[in-house]
Amino acid sequence: MYKFILLTFLSTIIGNAAALQSEKELTNKELLQEINSLKKELQELKQSTQENREELEDISDFTEDIEATLLKDKIEFGLGFKTNLDNFNKKYSNGEHVRNNNIWSNKLMLNMKADITDNMKFYGKLSMYKYWGSSAIHPYTYYDNMQGRVPSDSSIYAERAYLNWFFYKDSAFPMALTIGRLPTSDGPSHQFKDNTVRKGTYTALLFDGVADGIVFTTNISKLLHNKNSYIRLGYSKGYGHTESSQTAGNAFIGASNSDIDDTNVVGIFLDTPLPNVKNSLVQLTYSRMFDIVANPLDTNISATGANDNIGSLDLLGAMVELTNFKETNLDLFAQFGYSIAHPNGTSYMLPNGELVGLLGKDGDTSTKSGYSTWVGGRYGFGEKQKYKVGLEYNYGSQNWINLTQGGFDIYNKLATRGNAYEAYMMYVINRNANIRLGYINIDYNYSRSGWFVGEAQKISTVDSADVVERLQSVYLKMNVHF
Amino acid sequence: MKLSFLFFIFLPLIVSAHDSEISLLAKRLNLSAGSKAIVQWERVFKSTRKMKKYKIDTLTNEKKEMLKEYLIQHAIDSDQPTIAGI
Repeated sequence: MYKFILLTFLSTIIGNAAALQSEKELTNKELLQEINSLKKELQELKQSTQENREELEDISDFTEDIEATLLKDKIEFGLGFKTNLDNFNKKYSNGEHVRNNNIWSNKLMLNMKADITDNMKFYGKLSMYKYWGSSAIHPYTYYDNMQGRVPSDSSIYAERAYLNWFFYKDSAFPMALTIGRLPTSDGPSHQFKDNTVRKGTYTALLFDGVADGIVFTTNISKLLHNKNSYIRLGYSKGYGHTESSQTAGNAFIGASNSDIDDTNVVGIFLDTPLPNVKNSLVQLTYSRMFDIVANPLDTNISATGANDNIGSLDLLGAMVELTNFKETNLDLFAQFGYSIAHPNGTSYMLPNGELVGLLGKDGDTSTKSGYSTWVGGRYGFGEKQKYKVGLEYNYGSQNWINLTQGGFDIYNKLATRGNAYEAYMMYVINRNANIRLGYINIDYNYSRSGWFVGEAQKISTVDSADVVERLQSVYLKMNVHF
Repeated sequence: MKLSFLFFIFLPLIVSAHDSEISLLAKRLNLSAGSKAIVQWERVFKSTRKMKKYKIDTLTNEKKEMLKEYLIQHAIDSDQPTIAGI
């Protein structure tokens, strides 16, 4: 019995041991398979990593090529393009009516930007502005502040070319020096009509045109506890006499002349938003123009009644601008300008033989003050504000004078001594293009709007085929900026 | 004329404080508008994966639209003001 039990026990142990042995063998097999499979996967992974590495190297080479190209493209170009159709209706002070319909013009603008270093940037704008089917050079093109600003031939003019040099960027009062052909054109509040962002520094009611100079800017946001607040001090040359323009063949550029002084302009400008009002701008301006020259194009400077310095001018301005006011798609602006002319009594002889001084007659030295207001608004509606309507009005008094001779549009409406109304509808084709249909009506109360020389006479007392009493235009403009 | 003068004088007084939440939202999501070009931002808003990556997918459609508009408006190649010294 004991033997039987012992034998049974032994056989059970041996049987279990054999089964265990067999299980162990199976596990090893599986493990081996697993190891082989892992080896294979590892091999594949290695291969894939190698491929990825090679691909990455290719991409890295490609990225370096792109970087090199970007670094080589030192100037970034942008495009501006305008096509205008104007239909003029003019009424002269003698009662005569003249229509000039179907007047087409193109303006091409090549905008340039270069990041020279983190602290130095360059901006430029090259412009061609011409009427369709004509390459006649407009005489006003020779005025430095009107180059590229009036339709002329197909020449390209440098409308802007300036350096922004930033310093003390991380201090409480970051500073910048702007040197060159300055962003003095198309300033606030013309951007609404163009459906773009602010494209100029100074209020367009006072300054619009081309100017060379230096501007010192300090960010005073911390001082005023108001973001985007700046003080600017500017110096510009309105007229620089060159001997070469005096006598043909004499190429002595830049020589001074005792008969005539250069026109210098200095100014101080404050930019600040209204406290807690998003997208707002307040600008206060004071500037003085010294030694105004009667006619910058007249090279005759030594005879009696010849070109000369005729006085000085103070210009003061204040403006408020609200873009997308309270998120209502409504843009509003209001500007006020005040001019004080100080004639020195020197006379200039006009081609018709009339002797005139600064805003007055021959020998007149009395101070002439004038003012102007410009208000307007624009409202966007429809899906993504694809449609916009705008209204603008400006008024100028008898002796109002400003520096908008190279203005935003060919009407120079902001120099008006009288009333000007403008209404427009705009269709925004896409982010970069729009079409504007508008109507402008200018009623001149006084003559010589925008002229520095001669007395502003009441239109009702003038009977002339040269003096416009009323100017109207129905226009269509297409504007692309990219 | 008098009306326009009055409008000019009183305009600053009729406005009230307002500030956009969208710039703060962009900041909260760690999105810097100037880090991408317009087409790149447009691509972000077309891709579910990218929206998830930038955590935009959790926003309401209205907020998404507003954020997209903001980012495009301030993208690296967007239309920028040209002003001396800024």
